[in-house]
Amino acid sequence: MARLLFEIGTEELPSWYVAQGRESLLALARERLAEARLSHGEIRSYATPRRLTIDVFELADRSERRSERRRGPSAKVAFDEAGAPTRAAVGFARGQGIDPSELVVEETDRGAYLFANVETGGEAAAALLPELLAGLVRDLPAPRKMRWGDVEVAFVRPIAWLLARLDGDTLPVEVAGVRAGATTRGHRFHAPEPLELGAIDDYLPALRNAKVLADPEERRAATVTAITEAAEGEGLQPVWDDDLLDEVVDLVEWPTAIVGRFDASYLALPDEVLATVMIHHQRFVPLRTAEGAIADRFVGVSNTEVSDTTPVRAGYEAVLGGRLYDARFFWDADRQKTLAQHAWALSGIGFQKDLGSMADKVTRVREAAPRLATALGVSDEVAAVLDTALPIFRADLATEMVFELPELEGVMARAYAQAEGQPGVVARALEDGVRPKAPGGALPEGEPGAILAVSDRADKLLGFFALGKRPSGSADPFGLRRDAGALARIAALRDWDLPLRRIMATVAGGYEHGDTVIDDAVVDEVTGFVWDRVAALLAEEGVGVRTVRAATAGRPSVVLAARRAHLLRALAGTEAFAELLTLYKRAANLAENASEGGAPDPSLFEAEQEAPLFEALPAARSGAGDLLDELRRQLPAWQLGAGPARKPSPGKALARVLALKDPLDRFLDGVLVMVDDPALRNNRLALLREVSEVLAELGALEELRG
Amino acid sequence: MLFQELTLTLDRFWADQGCVLVPPHDGEVGAGTFYPTTFLRSLGPAPWKVAGIAPSRRPADGRNGDNPYRFQYFFQYQVLLKPSPADVQDVYLASLERLGIDARAHDVRFVEDNWESPTLGAWGLGWEVWMNGMEITQFTYFQQVGGQDCRPVSVELTYGLERIAMYLQGVEHGFDVQVAPGVTMGDLRRDFEIQHCRYNFEESDPDLQRLLFEKYEAEARRLIQDGLVYPGYDFVLKASHAFNLLDARGVLSQTERQGYVQRVRRLAEASARAYLAGLDAGNEAAA
Repeated sequence: MARLLFEIGTEELPSWYVAQGRESLLALARERLAEARLSHGEIRSYATPRRLTIDVFELADRSERRSERRRGPSAKVAFDEAGAPTRAAVGFARGQGIDPSELVVEETDRGAYLFANVETGGEAAAALLPELLAGLVRDLPAPRKMRWGDVEVAFVRPIAWLLARLDGDTLPVEVAGVRAGATTRGHRFHAPEPLELGAIDDYLPALRNAKVLADPEERRAATVTAITEAAEGEGLQPVWDDDLLDEVVDLVEWPTAIVGRFDASYLALPDEVLATVMIHHQRFVPLRTAEGAIADRFVGVSNTEVSDTTPVRAGYEAVLGGRLYDARFFWDADRQKTLAQHAWALSGIGFQKDLGSMADKVTRVREAAPRLATALGVSDEVAAVLDTALPIFRADLATEMVFELPELEGVMARAYAQAEGQPGVVARALEDGVRPKAPGGALPEGEPGAILAVSDRADKLLGFFALGKRPSGSADPFGLRRDAGALARIAALRDWDLPLRRIMATVAGGYEHGDTVIDDAVVDEVTGFVWDRVAALLAEEGVGVRTVRAATAGRPSVVLAARRAHLLRALAGTEAFAELLTLYKRAANLAENASEGGAPDPSLFEAEQEAPLFEALPAARSGAGDLLDELRRQLPAWQLGAGPARKPSPGKALARVLALKDPLDRFLDGVLVMVDDPALRNNRLALLREVSEVLAELGALEELRG
Repeated sequence: MLFQELTLTLDRFWADQGCVLVPPHDGEVGAGTFYPTTFLRSLGPAPWKVAGIAPSRRPADGRNGDNPYRFQYFFQYQVLLKPSPADVQDVYLASLERLGIDARAHDVRFVEDNWESPTLGAWGLGWEVWMNGMEITQFTYFQQVGGQDCRPVSVELTYGLERIAMYLQGVEHGFDVQVAPGVTMGDLRRDFEIQHCRYNFEESDPDLQRLLFEKYEAEARRLIQDGLVYPGYDFVLKASHAFNLLDARGVLSQTERQGYVQRVRRLAEASARAYLAGLDAGNEAAA
């Protein structure tokens, strides 16, 4: 058993790759060690901006031995008339690395064949590893690699050094123009000399001593502590942002917090602007008071522990000051115009070549959103808010602030709307209308904004699908899956009982006056695309594929489909439901033969099992309706993907539906449906059709496994 | 350190590293990357090391001298090393030390920057070098230039000279930088900056610039086709500057702007191809 330490030393990696690179290296190492049949124990992995490391415990000294029997040519062609091996036999033996005399002939059910018994494995790890480790460097996956110098290997950034140790020995790994040595490196400025490593166990402590926290968890904890202490020293609290923290932790090897200030006059800017400028441009952590207001101070995380923080602080403050100066300039300049005036400039911002400018897009939404509001049956107040918001919807895209800081879209619409005296609900709707801004991001808070957001996303989906620009495979360059997921989440959380397809068909009305044709096929396709996202979100909630298919059948609303999915999931285990399901499938199969037509006529009943089934129908029908009402009360609209707060617990209404079971069972057993008499036959089919229609309220049950 | 001492120090430093010191290009360019000694010479297999101050013009970046950091005319210090040396980060840090910047006393960091010039058909990976949160240098390993793969790979270092000088002199505005004893950057450039801002934003004649763009483009194409790469490339630079003026004037719609970018890019790519073809022809003649 041995211990292997392999460190890829690099020039500074992009912060987003540090964690990803560590995970990729770990996965690739596992894969390659398995391929080489080198067994091992735990593998630990570390990463900083300048290194990716694996530490393999209990590595086997030799690869696992295996005996294999490999079949060669048939015995007929393997020996000549004199019984000597032919070229075919000799070639096979050579290919297997054995002498022809070691070949054996064995009978198989397809005749006699040559076989070679080959022993593989047993190679020393020390001999296998140099090439294996070089392969890790060459093949480490990354979204974007680069070349440097005249090196033929591509990597995320140039490779600066390699450390490859098998217990006490340095392995002769050579790749990308670098030969592995016995040393690592400490902090770029605090410990620039090559660092000799004693035992492999010394790796983390030796680096810590050289001011490098190589373990990402340790570095994260140290960063959080440093920021928190710095903030508390000012009597303030950090405004945590997960993405920022991830980035800051992977921008440094030795986190050191430094507090800076900015001119308090900038506090007149909206809080989000201040926070975004600090985060986006400088990776500074904003601070806030106990009351929650943004303070005129921030924490920067330095990679270098300087003896005198004055120049660093002064530098941070000067740069942030310049950024805030620009932000205030934009804030002042943008407010020289009203949002309505900014909206004029949307014609200069492209949306999509064949779908026109942002102005064209907003014009379509102005047409579509009120129709959607009407279809949803919203109150006059909501309609009035929409009416005011629509002409300035997304107008902030044309402002300088959003041009410079795109992540402030929506936030600026709200801030500028408030500044020009628009009602708060209108300002709210404008911000809501571009939510969620990231998968899993905050959804619109109000109904008008939800209508804007859904109209906007549906417009985009319909337009791109009409142009044939649908995502294929994993490629989704226009982010359409994200839009579809956002739309589904909003519709569900708003508890809209409007069928999803009707949302799409309604928004398609925005395209009436343009060149782009949105026909039923496009509406269907987009609707199906959104259902796929609903299915993915429900899958995150633990709902199976078949259940989703059953729940989404029959053009329901998103929220109804989601509720039905959880109902069916809850019923799936029960025996009574399983029996009903079997009967339903028989009934539905037969009912497929039913011609369109009227209700069953009791005067045509002949068999004794017909009337009881017919009489059970009204109770079952109202039971199904009540069951769904009950479900709506039990499962208030939720964040799709997160799952409802509790499981449905069907009550008496379910019993009324299940009461169909016995009469249906007797009917299917005792009545011949497909009789010659057409009147009789059609009447029985009509009865079965009604049964399947009642049960279809709960979904396409035929999709479920009985 | 005076501004002129700063450039002299960098000249001395990079000359000692084996660089050819080239004087500034005598036409308007948006950045040192546009210099023929960078753009063209980064192509092809021959080793090449070059350095020098690179005055640059970006009409849209002008702020009438109000913003302490942003100007429509500014100085870069441009270094190109082909192939990129294995110790280039250390050499770069040594150059900072020569300027009196001790990396241990500051927060110096290499922060990811994926550089791309759509007009030059060029991209590279590397960093912005931050000193105490301020970007002082762009550090780029060229991957493609003029649409051509770079083999070997060059590394380009572009120092933001005004920013470094402001820090070294402890002044808060680019115009307050002392260039020579008793002479500030403002003395040299304030009127120039303000008048050019007025020209760029208000007075330039868009019809004339559109016409010039067409003419420069046609001339560049003709010359490049005839194998006159250097004169042809000069007209590519002129066309690029005409586009920059139109852009600053705010007369281009998004699509129109994109169209101009594509047109300059096609010219840059044609220049790069013609330059490489010339190298090949030269090699054949020599052989």
